[in-house]
Amino acid sequence: MNWFINTLSSSIGKKLMMAVTGLGFVGFLTVHLIGNLTLYGGQGLFTSYVEHLHALGLLITVAELGLLLFAVIHIVIGTLLFYQNLIARPVRYKVKKNAGGRTIGSETQPYTGFIILAFIIIHLLNFHFAEHTNETLFRLVFTKLASPLYMITYIVAMIVVAVHVSHGFWSLFQTLGANHPKYMPIIQKLGIAVSLLFGVGFGFIPIFISLIA
Amino acid sequence: MQLDAKVPGGPLAEKWDRHRFELKLVNPANKRKYNIIVVGTGLAGSSASATLAELGYNIKAFCIQDSPRRAHSIAAQGGINAAKNYPNDGDSIWRLFYDTIKGGDFRSREANTYRLAQVSDNIIDQCVAQGVPFARDYGGSLVNRSFGGAQVSRTFYARGQTGQQLLLGAYSSLSRQIAAGKIKIFSRREMVELVLINGKARGIVVRNLITGEYESHEADAVVLATGGYGNVFYLSTNATSCNVGAAFRAYKKGAFFANPCFTQIHPTCIPHSGDYQSKLTLMSESLRNDGRVWVPRDPGDKRRPNDIPESERDYYLERKYPSFGNLVPRDVASRNAKEICDGGGGVGPTGYAVYLDFADAIKRDGKKIIERKYGNLFDMYQNIIDDNPYEIPMMIYPASHYVMGGLWVDYNMMSNIPGLFVLGEANFSDHGANRLGASALMQGLADGYFVIPYTIGGYLAGASFQEVKTDHPAFKEATGEAEARIKQLLSIKGKRTVDNIHRELGQIMWDYCGMARNREGLNKAKKLIQNLREEFWENVIVPGSDKDYNLSLQKAGRLADFLEFAELLATDALSREESCGGHFREEYKTEEGEAKRDDENFCHVAAWEYTGYGKSPKLHKEPLVFENVELSQRSYK
Amino acid sequence: MRQGSKTINIILKVWRQKGPKEKGRLETIPVKDVSTDMSFLEMLDVVNERLTLEGKEPIEFDNDCREGICGMCGAVVNGIAHGPEKGMTLCQLHMRKFLDGDTIVVEPWRSRAFPIVKDLIVDRSALDKIIQAGGFISMATGGAPDANAIPIAQEIAEKAMDAAACIGCGACVAACPNASAMLFVGAKISQLALLPQGKPEAAERALSMLGKMDDLGFGNCSNERECEAVCPKEIKITNIARFNREFIKASFG
Repeated sequence: MNWFINTLSSSIGKKLMMAVTGLGFVGFLTVHLIGNLTLYGGQGLFTSYVEHLHALGLLITVAELGLLLFAVIHIVIGTLLFYQNLIARPVRYKVKKNAGGRTIGSETQPYTGFIILAFIIIHLLNFHFAEHTNETLFRLVFTKLASPLYMITYIVAMIVVAVHVSHGFWSLFQTLGANHPKYMPIIQKLGIAVSLLFGVGFGFIPIFISLIA
Repeated sequence: MQLDAKVPGGPLAEKWDRHRFELKLVNPANKRKYNIIVVGTGLAGSSASATLAELGYNIKAFCIQDSPRRAHSIAAQGGINAAKNYPNDGDSIWRLFYDTIKGGDFRSREANTYRLAQVSDNIIDQCVAQGVPFARDYGGSLVNRSFGGAQVSRTFYARGQTGQQLLLGAYSSLSRQIAAGKIKIFSRREMVELVLINGKARGIVVRNLITGEYESHEADAVVLATGGYGNVFYLSTNATSCNVGAAFRAYKKGAFFANPCFTQIHPTCIPHSGDYQSKLTLMSESLRNDGRVWVPRDPGDKRRPNDIPESERDYYLERKYPSFGNLVPRDVASRNAKEICDGGGGVGPTGYAVYLDFADAIKRDGKKIIERKYGNLFDMYQNIIDDNPYEIPMMIYPASHYVMGGLWVDYNMMSNIPGLFVLGEANFSDHGANRLGASALMQGLADGYFVIPYTIGGYLAGASFQEVKTDHPAFKEATGEAEARIKQLLSIKGKRTVDNIHRELGQIMWDYCGMARNREGLNKAKKLIQNLREEFWENVIVPGSDKDYNLSLQKAGRLADFLEFAELLATDALSREESCGGHFREEYKTEEGEAKRDDENFCHVAAWEYTGYGKSPKLHKEPLVFENVELSQRSYK
Repeated sequence: MRQGSKTINIILKVWRQKGPKEKGRLETIPVKDVSTDMSFLEMLDVVNERLTLEGKEPIEFDNDCREGICGMCGAVVNGIAHGPEKGMTLCQLHMRKFLDGDTIVVEPWRSRAFPIVKDLIVDRSALDKIIQAGGFISMATGGAPDANAIPIAQEIAEKAMDAAACIGCGACVAACPNASAMLFVGAKISQLALLPQGKPEAAERALSMLGKMDDLGFGNCSNERECEAVCPKEIKITNIARFNREFIKASFG
């Protein structure tokens, strides 16, 4: 196991963990988004989705634990990398300009990450750990998201997620070594599409709810 | 003193093999008992350090830059010759040898030049195995090009960065030995003294350029691979740190300096634009394959080049050399450009440039073809000069580029000081009076990879060594001398900067010891150099201290050496009363105005011995004997 | 006289620092009548001549070949490593790229792994140490097979050459928001991993060079692509991806 620890503790190893867990979250967000789309179908469709989901029982617990593990890794390693990168340049430049490589996504990656972490905590407190049953969840979602403060928080958070993913998506492929002149432009475009999809798909839900509320 | 080149006997083709057999060997277990100092980490120095370390010797390698990878070999563009005959166009070791010796105007040692051609093939094998990405064809085989007017294609290349790739190959081998603990690398060190004990080279004193401290290093042999002295002209294509310092220290300690007047001027460089000019940029000679050289027929013509009609242009190379035209050898092309400009016929803001016109080539082949061949050179030109060479003719002017002269060495690459070996451009040995294109890289690597590893063993095995430590008085004395010199430079506090004086020296050398020389000019130059040297020691201003990084101080020390060396160069040029290769004496030319050798009186190596500051050096002659080639006269008419 | 030759006045703000332990600061130096045909380093030469004659210490900066190949020069000019022009070292930058009245801020490479020696000079020996950790093919002189014994597809040779073009200037580290050396290391790993001669030790090389890089205090790559944007030899981050692949192969293979 020594090689395994050595591998993961190296700089590329840490980046690999970020990439793999990041890829996991892209998958999770995709499934989450598909599930949430049932909200647009009204209470019936949404409740049936929630029931089906909860019927998975142990499977869902395992998935949750998996997600939790991924989150811990992504957050701990991300924070460590952020710190290491900070101290790699003890004296900062007086003047520093973007030479053309950085994007809003890449430049803000650690910060959007921390914002997303804060949001996830709020989000879980609101829905996951709030007292609810399959039946009341729909109402809970409606009442929470209809309030202007929550609505704005959620929309802003979803924009932040989009920005985070806009760099994270292509970046994880690069880290995994999947950069080929033929395919990288497609991956980069796909990244923008996925981040827009997440931003619009999730971000529009509170707007939709406040519209029909 | 009789100079003995120690050339082995027997037929030319068998000399090296025979010599390798006859050289004494150092027992593998004993190799680790020997310490060798290698100064310089260019092609010759890096390859020598790496190879000697692989054999088991303990190496200390020194370089002036912050990393061994930055030596000026890195800037060589064109390629490296080898007699592989891959294109099957009739090349052979013999042909490469003959071309080299003829190109050098029969002023190099037959046996050395033959060996160079012999080991050239091994160099390519070695470099490929190291991971040098030479150009290849679609089938995956190495490709060659014809270079510098050679009639066969024998030049291997890695884009326009052959020197870089070869050096990085040698640097990687060096790095491997550093990791293995066999080489200790000392960067940002400048050699300030050579230390002799009982007549043998036993160490050096270096100055740490960051702390200013003097460090003594002892060894059983010292290898100098410190490059050439082209910067004596101030403006040259050499890197700014290239200097004669280490070689000159050795000269002052008794090593003979051979043929210092053999300097090479490259015809296709970007002309200088103002007094602030710090260096000249070389553009590949290949440009002359398609460009036509001309100047306005009327010297006063200030019109823009494209406004000057064909009938009012003077394509002087095509006019004077109908058969070779724009492809005449480097020295001929350079000399003609200088003559035109000195006569006031030059172009550009300074009047020291001639046009190199691609209009006809573009009309003939189309812009695409020209762009594919020379695109990167055109970009480089446009960046520096801010003209578009696709539309307006390029301006070019010759510049100092390479020196054939250097410390005298025998067949074993050892100087007349036992234990002092000299490799690469720093020695004089293989190129005679003129070097062929793509042969400098070949020589540096031949010396380092394939010659010194054998010959140094022969020296070490054949001599006895008393143990020497750096507390030996000789080290203390050498350190004292160096320190006194540095302190003196700082104490002058005059009114002229180092660069300012160096620029003046360069101008003197360029005007009187450049592409064309004559007795009157050389005598005048000697006087001017002496005066300038005196002024330097009275009026130079060197800022800062000797306790931290101080580039001005470094440059002052190097200029002090150049100011003495320049006179030696002029003295050699004066005493060589013939024209050969890069050395053109206006008094000695054919009726057509071309270089005229005097094989009867000057078929020798002129090796100069230092006799004291301000005193005339003593000339020693090593006669050149040609048993295998017939001396012929070059003609490019 | 060429069109466009003129002189400009600029205000130079240069980082001055006596030594590695000393505190540095930006010094403002107005410079008059700069010919636009000068290179950036020639402009500094002229400033240094003036400082010297005024009895002040000149600005120390590393430079050598002055034609963009030795990798010795480099400074961050107005926030960009090697200055505003793409694919160019500082010595190749010319003053015509600046305007009359411009303020030009010049700072050294900044990275924990590159301690400042003096003014604009930094110690880049960390890059040499990484190469010593495995940036070579382990073969001794002599005994190499014929150069044409192993054919190498032109495309592979060209790709290796693209990576091998690295001049080791350190601009990638200077420009990286994280002061990471991944482009430098990735380029060497790529060159040697692509060529058949380098394959036998590819795995060991990837691990040892990475380990050394991590030890020397460089930051971690976060794919910001600033290295690629400033690289004077325009080396691509596909080389970093290849390094990542080589690492994965070496670790899990």
